[in-house]
Amino acid sequence: MTASNSPADNTIQTSNQNSGKPTESGKLEVADLITIGVFAALYFVMVCVATLVSTLFTGGFGSIFLPAIAALISGCVYMLLAARLGKFGGITVMGVVIGLFLFISGHFVLSFIASIVFPVAADLIARAGRYKNKALLLVSYVVFSYGLTGPILPLWFMKDAYIASLQARGKDAAYIDGVFANINTGTFFISMAAILVCAIIGGWFGQKMMKKHFIKAGIV
Amino acid sequence: MTSEVYSNNVSFTYEQADELSLINTMLSIPSGQCVVLCGASGCGKTTYSRIVNGLIPQFFHGEFSGEQHTCGIDTAAEPIDKLTPLVGSVFQNPKTQYFNAKVIDELAFPAENMGLSPEEINHRIAEIAQRFNIEPLLQRSIFHLSGGQKQRIALAAASMLSPRLLVLDEPTSNLDTVAITEMRELVAQLKASGITIVIAEHRLAWLNGIADRYIIFDSGHIAHEYEADEFLALSPGCIAAMGMRALDLQPYRQRIKALESLTDVKKTSASDINDSGSASTQHDDATATHLGSSPLLSTHDLVIGYRGRDGFSRSIPDIDLYPGQIIGLMGHNGCGKTTLVRTLTGLIKPASGTVLLNGKPTKPRALTRAGFLVMQDVNYQLFSDSVREELLLGLDESDPAIIKRCDQVLEDLDLTRFADRHPMSLSGGQKQRVAIGSALMCGKDLIILDEPTSGLDRYHMEQVGELLRQLAEQGKTVLVVTHDEELAAGWCTTIINLEHNGSTSKPNS
Amino acid sequence: MHSTNTSTKAYLSDTGTPLCVESVAMTFSHSSNQRTLDPRTKLFLLLAANLMLFFHVSVITQLIMVVLFLLPLAVAGRWKLTVNFALTYAVLTGLGFLDPDALGSPWLHVVSALAVGCTMMLPCFITGAYAFTTTSPSAFICAMRRMHAPESVVIPCVVVIRFFPTIAEDYRQIRNAMALRGIAAGGWGLLRHPAQSLEYILIPLLMNATNVAQDLSVAALTKGLGREGAHTSRTEIRMRIVDWIMMIVALIPLALDIAGVIH
Repeated sequence: MTASNSPADNTIQTSNQNSGKPTESGKLEVADLITIGVFAALYFVMVCVATLVSTLFTGGFGSIFLPAIAALISGCVYMLLAARLGKFGGITVMGVVIGLFLFISGHFVLSFIASIVFPVAADLIARAGRYKNKALLLVSYVVFSYGLTGPILPLWFMKDAYIASLQARGKDAAYIDGVFANINTGTFFISMAAILVCAIIGGWFGQKMMKKHFIKAGIV
Repeated sequence: MTSEVYSNNVSFTYEQADELSLINTMLSIPSGQCVVLCGASGCGKTTYSRIVNGLIPQFFHGEFSGEQHTCGIDTAAEPIDKLTPLVGSVFQNPKTQYFNAKVIDELAFPAENMGLSPEEINHRIAEIAQRFNIEPLLQRSIFHLSGGQKQRIALAAASMLSPRLLVLDEPTSNLDTVAITEMRELVAQLKASGITIVIAEHRLAWLNGIADRYIIFDSGHIAHEYEADEFLALSPGCIAAMGMRALDLQPYRQRIKALESLTDVKKTSASDINDSGSASTQHDDATATHLGSSPLLSTHDLVIGYRGRDGFSRSIPDIDLYPGQIIGLMGHNGCGKTTLVRTLTGLIKPASGTVLLNGKPTKPRALTRAGFLVMQDVNYQLFSDSVREELLLGLDESDPAIIKRCDQVLEDLDLTRFADRHPMSLSGGQKQRVAIGSALMCGKDLIILDEPTSGLDRYHMEQVGELLRQLAEQGKTVLVVTHDEELAAGWCTTIINLEHNGSTSKPNS
Repeated sequence: MHSTNTSTKAYLSDTGTPLCVESVAMTFSHSSNQRTLDPRTKLFLLLAANLMLFFHVSVITQLIMVVLFLLPLAVAGRWKLTVNFALTYAVLTGLGFLDPDALGSPWLHVVSALAVGCTMMLPCFITGAYAFTTTSPSAFICAMRRMHAPESVVIPCVVVIRFFPTIAEDYRQIRNAMALRGIAAGGWGLLRHPAQSLEYILIPLLMNATNVAQDLSVAALTKGLGREGAHTSRTEIRMRIVDWIMMIVALIPLALDIAGVIH
């Protein structure tokens, strides 16, 4: 996937269409920010869809698989943004904007931290491949996908608060232990592994779509 | 006299383009003049409008040479923000040129960016709203406005900073006749207030009496310059030869009237259709084809509409659509054309009444299977990565008969050259043909086109017209929703005007 | 597809998750309500709701806080939301106090535990819904600029708000186009070939997105969005007495709880 067609693709990608991108000035221009906004909106919609699907499948407490499902379906959006922008900051800003909207819509404040740290890392990884190296882009997408773990982190890190709440309502200790035997590390690792697998599949799908449609159509 | 726009030897090549889009342009536009840039598609008029408002070379990159001064500012050397208070711009697509969701925010937007005080901004909004007659719209969401209203807002927003120059790039290409008339009034008013106006446009009729000068572009060169009276005196043939739309729409309107009355005659006395055949001038053969046959689609006591916040319903006079006909569906925005088309293709349910397909009452789902709609924005309808794949989508690709039919359709629609290209890399007209091709492959009998000629020059409009005729000759029923009087008069065999027929009611407003 | 849309909306508003794109965009673009707090106060309330999660507050504090959070929502005229949230909170709290063993049905433990978890998240959702449904985009942007958020975050946020309704409209158009071609028709059609459906929906959506991004950039540039220097706002936001009172009142029970006064 990495080596086969990179030389040809690179020539297409370096010079883009008559869309207004400043040539290799490292700073984000207004046009770039608008592009980021458009893609962030699309990504946010994907997150909403993922929330819906995840909730449907796992019931009440069901955002456990939210990041995984979001990772599965948003590969195209991410890859196209990376290819269109091709400069540092785009992925970071998108993550921050998503985090902001998640926070304002009532998600846990930690989600904001996660959606800064992981996108920055993803951005750095993608930059190492100059936003063209497919393997690095895929890794970067996987890392980025962990940025969405924010909304579900309270499930594990707020365990104490949760136990306290249960105790306050007169639940006995044995019962509480029973509950957490399930919600504990096991689910944590399943959820994290699901993100990894889904992000790889989603990212691969996104790159396939890039090659099939956007490069062929001359969009990137 | 001062020049608001001064171009000295300006040339420009877009990034990735092989040839120059604009070659050695020399032009000077004095203050207060209204100048129309015209010519066929791709002649360089839009490119020049971008040069004037500084988008070239600041946003659209490429090879720029020469000297360009707009309102005294060197556009290549100074940042584009310097031009913001001096130049207002309106673009072609009403849907994508507003930046805020609410009208009042959109008006405030340029003033906010300039850092004006809130009192000053509100004062200007009040003034502009009154001048452009948009006070009732201020608190509305732009998404729910009509195309004409959107362009009115765009023009109002462009005037917020009291610019010295307005650059309009095909502002009417998506508008109906009423909205164009309103646009004309606004532009006349702006010109009277002393603003210099540059309009790139190929629909020329609405500018008669406003424009002072016409600049004709041809493949990147300025081919001619005319004063208004010289230009208006040119013969229609001469205008057509330059690839431009008609200056005088009167003959077309008369022809449309005749076609409309023809439809009415047919309604009142369906028995003697023979008379109506002779009344038609150009397309006797086309109208004659359906004489013996029965209608593909007819409606009976149909009421269309939808519920919701912008709820709407109206009754439709009974319509018969025959194979081989090209039916023009006309009427101003908001009279229910789109809703009717969506009902006829089964995308929404009729509020009451029936739609008959081949004489039998039909469910919406069957209508969706029988009909096809070429949308105004055809980009939504193309899913595959090559033209051939697009046509074969959902069909059995191993069947040699289907492959053969696909080749035939490609040939008929002049798409064989592009068979392996990605549909999205084609031009608008080619995409339209791909969408039609997909309908032909699915064996659809009713083909509906929604505004197929918006934004097209004469040549491409005629091409669409010929395509319609070709489809009709193949025995398809063609229904075309259009504001384009030239297309309707030239190619439609009957015209249904929803404005004159039936009654509209808006329950919620 | 209309029916799925509405059911989605209904579903989301039932659970109180303020995440429905379409309705969010609608409310975001329509509210011009004067009777709401300053956006910065709303942010403060959001943070307070989050702090409640950190410091496991007692049931009484939680109750007081929920009432406090619902108050501005009611004042802003969002009666339906207020009542929904109040009912949800009441039901969940009730479930949390159930004693399944006494009732003789141990499986209720699961329900009860889940209810407790949801109750903990509810204050966040209430404040979130309040922030989302009562803040006009211009007030939101103005607040961000006042708080010295960098332009590189402010501009994408404006675009996100602007672009939501476009996505909804595009989606409808694409589904219509698919129906006309007989692709993935019917309620379950999308799920039969999920990868293909995703491709057919996403590709036109993304193609359109790139076009819109360019058009918006052009429009924004000619209107001076990229101009250096201060950008002002027509909407004046300021902290009023009510804002300060609200913040202090919200802080008191929280502080008392953390200090251990309320149990």
